[in-house]
Amino acid sequence: MISVSHLTRRFGDFTALDDVSFEVAKGEVVGFLGPNGAGKTTTLRILAGYLPATSGTVRVAGFDVLRQSIEVRRRIGYLPEAVPLYREHRVVEMLEFQARLHGLSRDDTKRRIGEVLEKVGLTDRRRDLVGHLSRGLRQRAGLAVALLPNPEVLILDEPTSGLDPLQRIEVRALIQQLTTRHTVILSSHILPEIEATCPRVLIVHEGRLVADGTHAQLVRSHGSESHVRVEAVVGADVESARRLLGAIAGVRAVHDRGRLGIHHQFDIVCDEDLREDVGALAAAKKWALRELSWRRPTLEQLFSQIATGAGLATPSAARGESPSASASSVAHPSLALASKALASTGLSSAPETSTAQASPTLPVSARPAKVVYNLNPFDMGASRDLGRPKSVEGPTPSASEQRERESGEV
Amino acid sequence: MRGLLAIYRREMAGLFFGPLAWVLLALVFLLNGYLFVLYLKSSGGNVDTAVRLSLGDSWAFWVLLILVPPLLTMRMVSEESKSGLLEFLLTAPISDASVIVGKFLAATTFLALMWSAVFVYAGALSTLGAAPDTGVLIGGWIGAVLASALFSAVGLLASALTNTPVLAAFGAVLMNLVIVIAPLLSNLSDDPVFQRAIRHIDVIDHHTNSFLLGLFDTSYAVFFVAWTVLFLFLTVRALETRRWA
Repeated sequence: MISVSHLTRRFGDFTALDDVSFEVAKGEVVGFLGPNGAGKTTTLRILAGYLPATSGTVRVAGFDVLRQSIEVRRRIGYLPEAVPLYREHRVVEMLEFQARLHGLSRDDTKRRIGEVLEKVGLTDRRRDLVGHLSRGLRQRAGLAVALLPNPEVLILDEPTSGLDPLQRIEVRALIQQLTTRHTVILSSHILPEIEATCPRVLIVHEGRLVADGTHAQLVRSHGSESHVRVEAVVGADVESARRLLGAIAGVRAVHDRGRLGIHHQFDIVCDEDLREDVGALAAAKKWALRELSWRRPTLEQLFSQIATGAGLATPSAARGESPSASASSVAHPSLALASKALASTGLSSAPETSTAQASPTLPVSARPAKVVYNLNPFDMGASRDLGRPKSVEGPTPSASEQRERESGEV
Repeated sequence: MRGLLAIYRREMAGLFFGPLAWVLLALVFLLNGYLFVLYLKSSGGNVDTAVRLSLGDSWAFWVLLILVPPLLTMRMVSEESKSGLLEFLLTAPISDASVIVGKFLAATTFLALMWSAVFVYAGALSTLGAAPDTGVLIGGWIGAVLASALFSAVGLLASALTNTPVLAAFGAVLMNLVIVIAPLLSNLSDDPVFQRAIRHIDVIDHHTNSFLLGLFDTSYAVFFVAWTVLFLFLTVRALETRRWA
């Protein structure tokens, strides 16, 4: 339905989009994800035929966006972020205007207006002035306008921006209804939203397409693994406990996350949820369990990894996820720069704690491991690695020193 | 064509939904009526002269033509560009030209309505037994509408060049002023080529020496149409540069 190949767009010296290629099949729902300024809106505007591309071709429903622009525009419903509607008109007048622009017949107009108003739930507000509608209602009116000609492709630019949480849920539900009949491309920087509505995700960062696939595919291809986190008292023989856990069917690897007080923490890498098997093993071995959880990287973690390298992982995830994350960012050469830039700003050093370097199973960089205790004063030493406090060389470096040193090394 | 009509209807509605159109109409009708009475008096009761004065042979007419069209057109592109409505129109299945021409026709229709006040005066006079010459009346009105069309096109161009309506109005007034007073340059030189060139841009002359005499000369009509089309063409180009910038 949509085919974009080698799309590049420059604004003067600034390259907003750099060699972006993707395909969207009929009936697919695609989420366009990226931080502000990544090039989402530019891409959508090019798809809608508002902006011409500097180079590359874009085809919608088989028509070239630049050369057969009118044919393309007949087939798309485009809702820009600003939700442009004439404020001095009533909702139904705005819809009539759109119907006239698309050349619908009088009967079609009447029927479609009834249908779309019903769909977005504005039937009782049809006579209201657009200027008097609240932001959420205006969003729905905009959606009604975009839907009116029954377009094959629906392009929604940040359909939930500026809405309160309740309105956001409403609009999201509305979009989900639409996905059965239209090919939908929507952009957002709100990740849970994309995760909830779009099976397929495209991630753009600084004008480049850095990831494309379903959530599961992205998780698989970008190195972060789903795992079972288990925290238990396993006694002195940690190594045999590790071997036992590794022997469970379906386990791909066991990472020793070190000792937390009397408990020992393991991450058991596996594709399926193996909590029951691990629990059964713990029961058989009489290990006192403190935590047993199934962790899958969320799109949010994935996104921050992809966009910035390991740096911005959420604090709760930083301890467990950051080692694999840093590994993946190294494996992904196009992202090395981003993570480097981030490290030099000192952002990445803050959430990283000793456990990141201390894990024996991980590819640690060549420099000697430095143990830095968690800098969170409210942590009460919970993440302290009691097993290896002595590996610190000299006095524990302060936070600022640590930051300097890291940026120097990068 | 279908899109052009849709845009035209929307713009007419937009004009008359706002207060500006009504305020302008009221002021201009008031001023024109008052001036018409003055013209009648000063011409010693010559009805044709009064019609001629009120439809083009006076400074008041040209001042109105310089000031009113920019006020109508200033918001038509610039404000829509700011509010994102332009993005909506330019992704609708209609050509850029029909967006501009639709808006242009709306502004011209409004100005045509504004000038038709003379028909009321003429009607009133003919019931009193002093009907003005129909040729002068209709010719003058057509000329006034053609001149208004030209100035509307200039206003749209100014509107398409900026995102600020006030700036658009200011720019349009300046451009209109230049168009109206440019013929004064003819005093600079007696060179015949220069004189001819000046004659080809003299808007006042083209209006007063043909339409106001009750004469519909196609070459004079073509003069207005050609300049109008040129400015509309430039406006469409200006709109297109927005896509690239």
